Amino acid sequence: MDVDLLAQAAVSGLLIGGLYATMAMGISLSWGALKIINLAHFTFILLGAYLTYQLTTTFGIDPFLMIVVVFPLFFVAGALLQVFFEWAKVDEFRSLLISFGLFIIFTSLVRTVWTADFRRISSEDNPYASASIFIGGVALQVPLIAAFIAAVVIAVGTSLALSHTHFGRAVRAVVQDAEMARAFGIDPRRVAVILSGLATAYSGLAGVFIAMFQVLSPTMTFAWFGIVFSVVILGGLGSPYGALGAGIIVGVVAGVASVVWGPLSAPLVTFLLLIAALLFRPSGLFRRSPA
Amino acid sequence: MTARTKTLLGFAIVAVVLGLVPNVVEVLDAPGFYLTFLFTMFFWISQSSSWNILTGYSGYFSFGQGAWFGIGVYTTGILATKHGWPFLVALPVAGLVAGAAGLLLGLVVFRLRRLSGEIFALTTLAVSFVLASVARLTSLIDGGRGIFMTGTPLPEFLGDFRTSMYRMTLVIALLTVLTAYLIFESRLGWGLFSIRDDEEVARGLGVPTFRYKMTALGTNAFFGALMGGVWALQIGFVTVEDVFNIRVPLLVILMAVLGGMRHWMGPVVGAAIIYTLTDRLNSAGLADVNQVIIGALLIVMVLGVREGIYLRIRARWIASGVIFFGAMAALTVFDLTSSLIWDFSYALLITMAMLLIPTPLWERLTRSRITAPPSDRPPEQPVPSKTAGT
Amino acid sequence: MNLLTCTSISKRFGGIRALDGVSTSIEEHEILGLVGPNGSGKSTLINLLSGLYAADDGQAVFGDRDLLRLPPEKIAAAGVARTFQIPRPFDTMTVRENVSVSYMFGHRRHSLEAARDAASEWLAFTGLEAVADSPVDQLTLHQLKFLELARALATEPTLLLLDEVLAGLNPTEIDQSIEMIKRIHERGIALVIVEHLLRVVTSLSHRIVVLDQGRVIASGDPTEVMEDPAVVAAYLGGSRPNA
Repeated sequence: MDVDLLAQAAVSGLLIGGLYATMAMGISLSWGALKIINLAHFTFILLGAYLTYQLTTTFGIDPFLMIVVVFPLFFVAGALLQVFFEWAKVDEFRSLLISFGLFIIFTSLVRTVWTADFRRISSEDNPYASASIFIGGVALQVPLIAAFIAAVVIAVGTSLALSHTHFGRAVRAVVQDAEMARAFGIDPRRVAVILSGLATAYSGLAGVFIAMFQVLSPTMTFAWFGIVFSVVILGGLGSPYGALGAGIIVGVVAGVASVVWGPLSAPLVTFLLLIAALLFRPSGLFRRSPA
Repeated sequence: MTARTKTLLGFAIVAVVLGLVPNVVEVLDAPGFYLTFLFTMFFWISQSSSWNILTGYSGYFSFGQGAWFGIGVYTTGILATKHGWPFLVALPVAGLVAGAAGLLLGLVVFRLRRLSGEIFALTTLAVSFVLASVARLTSLIDGGRGIFMTGTPLPEFLGDFRTSMYRMTLVIALLTVLTAYLIFESRLGWGLFSIRDDEEVARGLGVPTFRYKMTALGTNAFFGALMGGVWALQIGFVTVEDVFNIRVPLLVILMAVLGGMRHWMGPVVGAAIIYTLTDRLNSAGLADVNQVIIGALLIVMVLGVREGIYLRIRARWIASGVIFFGAMAALTVFDLTSSLIWDFSYALLITMAMLLIPTPLWERLTRSRITAPPSDRPPEQPVPSKTAGT
Repeated sequence: MNLLTCTSISKRFGGIRALDGVSTSIEEHEILGLVGPNGSGKSTLINLLSGLYAADDGQAVFGDRDLLRLPPEKIAAAGVARTFQIPRPFDTMTVRENVSVSYMFGHRRHSLEAARDAASEWLAFTGLEAVADSPVDQLTLHQLKFLELARALATEPTLLLLDEVLAGLNPTEIDQSIEMIKRIHERGIALVIVEHLLRVVTSLSHRIVVLDQGRVIASGDPTEVMEDPAVVAAYLGGSRPNA
């Protein structure tokens, strides 16, 4: 096997692992802190991607600027979604069902608006798709570098926020004991709404990067399930650094597998990684964060 | 006569009546489409019933019905076409293969102490798509080229293609629903319900939770694949995209949720209703709207009719019977629509409209006080933390 | 004749040592009181004995089995049952169904039909026949606690672990619960009672074991143990006891 090829696969895998981490962060936070498995996050990633595609294509905005657009927009969407969940007073089982219903609805909407045709931002609107930086014979695609940097920023930022800010402490308090937190003047519902906004914003952000280098189709979410859940479980629920680390591992393993056994093997290898994690380290490769 | 004897007699009567339908259709020279409509309904009744045996009874949420379906389709496909096995032999083998796969999954996930339920749900979500990639990958299975199932020989006694499909699906559907009923009224069933309510406590009372979950999962996978195998014939040309998509897992969930997951009749009712409605939407040319409606319907049902349509029919059985049969009679007698199936679907819609009236309003309208089943009542206070202190 | 012999049981949660080398025993037909200030490890010991958590170290020999090596279902089959401090009924079932399910699976396996009849006996014993066919969300806390008892009893145990069965009850309910505990004991069942209400525990128990910060600091006759200076210090040094 060509060493250069392997090295390239590993490095690209590392970078895309950052993207995987961002994709998984929303669900991981939702599940770990809010105790809701929110499948709608996959459609948020999808919507983030399609929105980026549409606005860059229609208005010629630089895709990177979409970060500024998507983040607040999706924050609000996520907050509203949590308000809905709080109002509905659903338990975990029902929230799973409802989020699945939302997943179906949003996917349908994407298909209705943008049809099932493949979409890709044109190279004039998106010069980054084919741009690469070369270091030591290995090509680092610009969108992937950006996604990786964003992932690190998100992981570090979230982790620091959880441990050092008042809000972070409030989150950890609510996760441990919502009633007690209320006795200390913390409103669990407000904490949940803000957290959900943040998680959704992360998902939207992941979509922006995906639009920068991938071809979009309404059913692309299905390919994400295995990857994202592998990262979530390997990384441990609600742990930002865990998600980052797990994302990198999954990215590298899937990348190398693609090169060695062909791209179709990647989902299978990722899944086997998930199964192995469940068998040997069910609480994740990294210790759970306080949340 | 005990309740059990009565129910089993009911099954026998239904089997005979439905079994005679092909003969009736032939004698009356009715459109063969009625048979297709019915056997597709049997398909969905079986899939949603077998799904409910696992998810409804035990509370372990499975998104993986598509996986068992797919294994059934591909196993019969390969055995019957590439290896020339007789179809009726390949069929149960497909069931067993899926059963084994399910048990393998259970072996990994069911032993987890924490988050077993959630992780099981997510793993089943990923399984179908992983299987799809495996199917594409190996030339021994598909290699991306698809399998031709049309022209697969079937035994003569089953009749022509349509009648064969009808008879096979009827038998499997009856077996699935019968199994769901027998489990419902058994120690296994009650054990599963206790797992659903509180698995930790159930174990402490002596319920063999691992064994029971495995049984439910294996049964679910077996019947899912059995019906999948038959359906391979209906699909005709089997491809990965056709088989491993979100349709089967999604519809099955909706059907069971709509019909009610707490009773073995729930998925039957739910499948009948949902299939009729989607079928009519398709033939009216509104196929695209389908999925949004399905998603919305799922959410509405989860929030609004928690116990499911079937139990609500039982609670309002007089009104349901009168409205449904009255509507059917009026529509057929006055020849208001173009086919019996349209009559059926309109009658269903009218009945459902009545059933969706919220219970408090209904009780006021009919001046009756029916105690709603526990699952229909939202919790009044926050549920206290269930872990013991110190 | 020792029914249960615990030797050097230890359990850590992260950095906290919940139980540290706890050794004690229970004799047949005995009522053992398990007391101690908050955080002393009482509930943890119950959780280990009933198989909810795995112990890090030690043994709990019951007959010829070590409870600490058994999964919860086998512990129930061996004849050990427990109740929960905050009741955990099966909330989609009626009261009767809760007890029936328990009877079906407990110490000996019984059929569905047999369970329906047998449940009536336990419902009568705990005074719950009036609400037998109600869904559990209509029950008061006191009734829920009695349901916990009925369910545990339906598994036909030889040893019953009661985890703070009196918590949250008013004085009348407490008295009724004490009567119930005595009647349970009259059936020949050995009891371990974890309790904060010291006057109740000392009057009910044959023997008392006092835990403090995961260790046994005293064990023996109730009155003597409660006057032991080490025990008094543990309580006053920690949280105040409910006398």
